Amino acid sequence: MLDNQPFREGAVTVGGVSVRYRVAGPENDRTPLVLVHGTAGSIDGHYGYIFPMMAYRQRVIALDWSEPEGDALELADLVAQVKAVITAEVPEGPVTLMGYSLGACVAALTAYEMGDKVANLILAAGWLRTDTHQKMRNDVWRQLRDQDSASITQYMTFCAFSPAFMNMRTLTDMKAAAGMLKITPFVDKQMDLNTRIDIAAECEGIAAKTLVIGCTYDMMVPKHHSKQLFGAIEDARYAEIPSGHAVVHERAAELFHYVDRFTRQPDEFPAGTIIPAQKP
Amino acid sequence: MTTETDILIVGTGFAGLGMAIQLKRAGRENFIAIERAGDVGGTWRDNHYPGIACDVPSHLYSYSYLPNPDWSRVFSPGGEIQAYIRKCAEDEGILPHIHFHTDMLKSTWDEASKRWVVETSKGTYVAKILITGTGHLADGHMPRIEGLDSFVGDVFHSANWDHSVSLEGKRIGVVGSGASAIQIVPEMQKVASEMVVFQRSAPYMIPRWDREFTEGERRMCRRDPSVVEDLRSEIFWSGEFNFAQRRNIPRFLNEAKALAVGHREAHIKDPDLLAKLTPDYEIGCKRLLISNTYYPAIAAENATLEASALKRVEGNMAYGASGTGYELDVLVFATGFEAVRPPFAARIFGSEGISLDAHWDRGMQAYDSIAVNGYPNLFIINGPNTGLGHNSVVYIIEAQVDYIMGALQQIEEQSIEVIEVKRTAEDAYMEKLDTMAQGTVWLAGGCKSWYVDDRSGRLTLVWPDFAHSFRDENGTFHPEGYDMQPAPVAAE
Repeated sequence: MLDNQPFREGAVTVGGVSVRYRVAGPENDRTPLVLVHGTAGSIDGHYGYIFPMMAYRQRVIALDWSEPEGDALELADLVAQVKAVITAEVPEGPVTLMGYSLGACVAALTAYEMGDKVANLILAAGWLRTDTHQKMRNDVWRQLRDQDSASITQYMTFCAFSPAFMNMRTLTDMKAAAGMLKITPFVDKQMDLNTRIDIAAECEGIAAKTLVIGCTYDMMVPKHHSKQLFGAIEDARYAEIPSGHAVVHERAAELFHYVDRFTRQPDEFPAGTIIPAQKP
Repeated sequence: MTTETDILIVGTGFAGLGMAIQLKRAGRENFIAIERAGDVGGTWRDNHYPGIACDVPSHLYSYSYLPNPDWSRVFSPGGEIQAYIRKCAEDEGILPHIHFHTDMLKSTWDEASKRWVVETSKGTYVAKILITGTGHLADGHMPRIEGLDSFVGDVFHSANWDHSVSLEGKRIGVVGSGASAIQIVPEMQKVASEMVVFQRSAPYMIPRWDREFTEGERRMCRRDPSVVEDLRSEIFWSGEFNFAQRRNIPRFLNEAKALAVGHREAHIKDPDLLAKLTPDYEIGCKRLLISNTYYPAIAAENATLEASALKRVEGNMAYGASGTGYELDVLVFATGFEAVRPPFAARIFGSEGISLDAHWDRGMQAYDSIAVNGYPNLFIINGPNTGLGHNSVVYIIEAQVDYIMGALQQIEEQSIEVIEVKRTAEDAYMEKLDTMAQGTVWLAGGCKSWYVDDRSGRLTLVWPDFAHSFRDENGTFHPEGYDMQPAPVAAE
């Protein structure tokens, strides 16, 4: 008999579009955890591991972004969706808010705007301000997309995983993984938004107790971005996972380890700590 | 003759030796390790059957503080692991602390002297602190088989292999299809004229990503130890990922199952054999096995899979429960170990004079998986709820050693004479574990396994969570769980 975890689905309407979310796990002394996925992601795509595993520990809420109306996507659109879900499910707060990749940028801005309703913040592979290195990668992506190149998903997969992870698999495995990526017009808008992120000023004003997680072999959002967040956010501590950008797949269990420890005891490490890696 | 010591360790496998090394490194000299055999290594000393290897990659299945750049393969053979353990004991200067051929017969807590009195095959020891490191795989389990005495051929257990028996061209019966059996069977198939495997229940099996390391790779590991560190981290965390399968989450369980089904179907073409080799429970409920050679061996011309347990023996005939009989020259019992009711527990008597085995009449349990109420000054390494279905037990052992080191430090700093876990703390811990275990594949997977105690239906052998959370929760001493009595101050 499989352990089919009970969960509940909900929806809120934001700017005329419906935003769907999922809730699971017991209510206990841990602050509810709200999960925000990243570019081209979803609850199952980016939190397929973290969501069910954390739901054995505590209350977890995760949302799937909905495409807002309009030609361009702004960070504010996604922040509004996250805020609406938090307000619907945990109206009085506080929550622990976690974002991954572009979702980390969304989570950081949400934490800034919601103040003490976001007591704790986890930013995995996020960034403060888009830099030339990211713009260059994004530009190649844009060209492949405009050419309708069949190589685009392989390029994304190549950028997403660390060499060590890839080398445990075959080229056929990696190509199969690439084949599962779907690019929609909404993803186009997310990729455009990725070129225009600048939350440096807001990060200085984040009060939440924050865990920043950088990925050692990240070629999409290299770890110096996480170091910048670690510096910019006053009550931040930093952990590093030896993974590519796709840490939610590559090192899902290690990511779980940091999320689990932090949600259990957010003040285990004082602000400014570089949390030492477990040496198994 | 009575030997006195501060700390007495029982066993010198990964657990006992790991404890000894940390004591020595911390500058504690007043300890003795007793070992019933003539060498260190525990299960790796006792198990030397053909084909023996470990299911955890060697770079992880070793002490974190004693990395070995020279492993020959991803999954090194058992003899290499034994040599590694031996070298650790030598390099760390532990051998002089070990009393070999010294079997613990009876350990009794003496309330008057606040000491453990340990009777052994080589005399009596008296110790302030008793630490057991006797392992889950220490004593081979032999099923009672009707008429086995009448068998005219050779009989032995996999953990006590008789290398003097010539197997070439013989008709060999292998009893069991667990972790030892699947390593033995391919070797027997090579030498036997005929081979019969008695299988009580079919195991799940996935490919073994094994290969030899080149000399260049080994030199790289010697030149740059960070390479080994990175490898350990990679192996450990990919192992941790698989806990989601044991947690019984459909998506991850089904991924594992697809891998096992694909592996089975790639090797077994005969539909009858395929049916016999298809388990009737969920993957991971029993130990998940890894092998590339078992299926080809069982499908070979000279091999027969008897899909029932060995029921009785008569002369040179061995009969399965199905009633089918086979004429055999050799019977190998690969029937596992006494893990659920470890024999050491029947030899330890606490403050009320009851053996730990009797005390555990509803199954093993211990606070923080290490201490038992009624058994003061006793720490159990690798005891209840410390086994894993998805990662390296050496990692668990190291966490437990750290815990004990913390306890010993407190005992010394506060001159504690008696330390005993509170009954309430032990019960609360077990209640927490019972809750964690609900719904896991070990309890809900529809199988009978050595992870679960028949008498209570409780998961007593396995830690029902990630390995890393074992270290988070049980890697440091928790004084709040214990009653501690300081030693009386001596009058002048």
